[in-house]
Amino acid sequence: MTEELKVAVERKPQGAVLYTKGYINNVGGEEIANRAYELMDDGVRTLLLNLRETKIVNSIGISILIEIIEKMIDKGGKIAFCCLTPVIHKTFQIMGLANYASIFENEEAAVKELGL
Amino acid sequence: MSPLVHRFAEFLHDLQQLERTVARGDAILDAFTRHTPFDGGAVYLRDRDASLRLAAKTQQFLAPEILDREPPSELIAGTDRVLVPLRSGREHLGVLALTGGEYSEDDLEVVRAAAAFIATVIANQRLSQEAREGDFQLKYRLWELESLYDIGLSITGTLNIDELADEVLFRMISLINARRAALFLRDGDGFKPYRSFGDTPVNDSDLQRLRETGQAVSLNGGTVVAVPVNGNNQIIGVLVAADRETREGVAAFEANELRLLSLFANQVGIALENARLHREALEKQAMERELELAATIQRDILPKSIPHIEDVQIAALSRPAKQVGGDYHAFFERENGVTMLVADVSGKSMPAALLVSALHAAVQLLVREGRELGEVATELNRHIHRWSAENKFITFIIASIDREAETLEYVNAGHNPGYVLVGDRLDTLKSHGLPIGMLAQSKYMTQVRPFANGSTVVLYSDGITEAENEAEEEFGSDRLENLLQPPCTAAELRDRIAAAVDGFVGSAPQHDDQTLVIARSL
Repeated sequence: MTEELKVAVERKPQGAVLYTKGYINNVGGEEIANRAYELMDDGVRTLLLNLRETKIVNSIGISILIEIIEKMIDKGGKIAFCCLTPVIHKTFQIMGLANYASIFENEEAAVKELGL
Repeated sequence: MSPLVHRFAEFLHDLQQLERTVARGDAILDAFTRHTPFDGGAVYLRDRDASLRLAAKTQQFLAPEILDREPPSELIAGTDRVLVPLRSGREHLGVLALTGGEYSEDDLEVVRAAAAFIATVIANQRLSQEAREGDFQLKYRLWELESLYDIGLSITGTLNIDELADEVLFRMISLINARRAALFLRDGDGFKPYRSFGDTPVNDSDLQRLRETGQAVSLNGGTVVAVPVNGNNQIIGVLVAADRETREGVAAFEANELRLLSLFANQVGIALENARLHREALEKQAMERELELAATIQRDILPKSIPHIEDVQIAALSRPAKQVGGDYHAFFERENGVTMLVADVSGKSMPAALLVSALHAAVQLLVREGRELGEVATELNRHIHRWSAENKFITFIIASIDREAETLEYVNAGHNPGYVLVGDRLDTLKSHGLPIGMLAQSKYMTQVRPFANGSTVVLYSDGITEAENEAEEEFGSDRLENLLQPPCTAAELRDRIAAAVDGFVGSAPQHDDQTLVIARSL
């Protein structure tokens, strides 16, 4: 298991899916933010974060994710998450992310619902 | 609408746009230079720590002394610049300095009003930011509590130590915002790393210090902490965390994180103990299954019935101990009599059962081939020595009655002496060689002695003579020899010995297999 977070992006006709692998902490969170902001600057307004290969997230990572969500909402777009571990799912609910971003069990359901 | 009011309305409209995002210094300065006669200047904003900092300035503007002074409480119109306080209520939020251009009193009024508006915007944004941060902190504390509760449920419900170690590590990292972490488990007098996430800079002496004091250890200026995990009245592990993350980078762990980590370590201790007990229970189960299987193997290869041989009475007793030992016995019909053997394999449980199984296969083959006993023992020794572990050997006594020749042939390879009862005389069949499997080159010679019809031969394992009573005294050879009295049948003699051993042992547990083989030539 490595400390570094890896991010991969898949552009979709109506947005993008961002895949994370590793720890979402301050470094990992910034990496996600950079990629998300690049996509937003590119006009992406629907962004799905697939956290299938992420098992740990800390509070700094969560605060960065909240900022990304706020920025996307400011731009009139939306962010959703999928494939969360039960621990991360509960964390997102408690920390309020679930109030501003949809959470899906799997990518297929998310892509369908978001119209990606 | 007068031109002044119109200008102010446009100015306000621009400033309102700043409400939507964080009001930055450059955006504020830009609005003021666009809607007033001033063409340059600077914006100074107070940080949360009350210090004033330059937030934006136009290229030519230089006024470092503003940072050193208290911001003015009223607008100051000087010859080269105008200083406008940014205040909301009693709160000094910053200073706006404007330069260049000719200005009127009306312009100053517009600037004053716009500055009051933007100050209110900044104050509101700061309040909103503080409220959001407060909300985040509140939720974060709730998350910590929920996490501790969940951790308790989750890790105490995980009995697989590998899964448990991962769960412990992940939870610990996110709970205290650590960048790196490790779980060490007790290994003799020290600790060995069991799971880690990134490198954790602790060495043996740090861990030793923790073991000696039983207290958490803080290293590298508090950026690394090691907390003991207690269980079973000792330190059974250590949780190590390194580099507490902040938004700016990494920092030392604070009292709150140490408190959380200690609480967490308590639950990890309980979980590790549960997992250990579970593992022991599984091992015990596996051992019991192995014993059962070994017992089955042994049961299956022991004779299920006693052969009926004309004019020879045969009686046998086989009592396996609870923990399977390695006794073996067999009978072979032969012309004019019977061949029988008793063997005792070293060790217990499955290894012993497997060696008994190997012995059984080889003996069946060699004896049925019609080889004479010395050759059987010699071949058997070579076979067992080659194929079994170094410390495995077999004590072995094999005897063959020839009724026609009225002789008894035998080989005793390191086994207890057998007995021959002729009338009321008792002779012994003493060992004349090393146990089977001990030395590759051992050779065994067949011993022959008279065995008049009416004689009885008694073979047994040490489970009989070494049977212990509750006072841990052994039954012994003397008691056995005293029982070997004529006249009686083979079965009567067997029952007499069995009853005497039982009477002697009482309720003491049986530690070893007991085997008894008796043949009487009529």
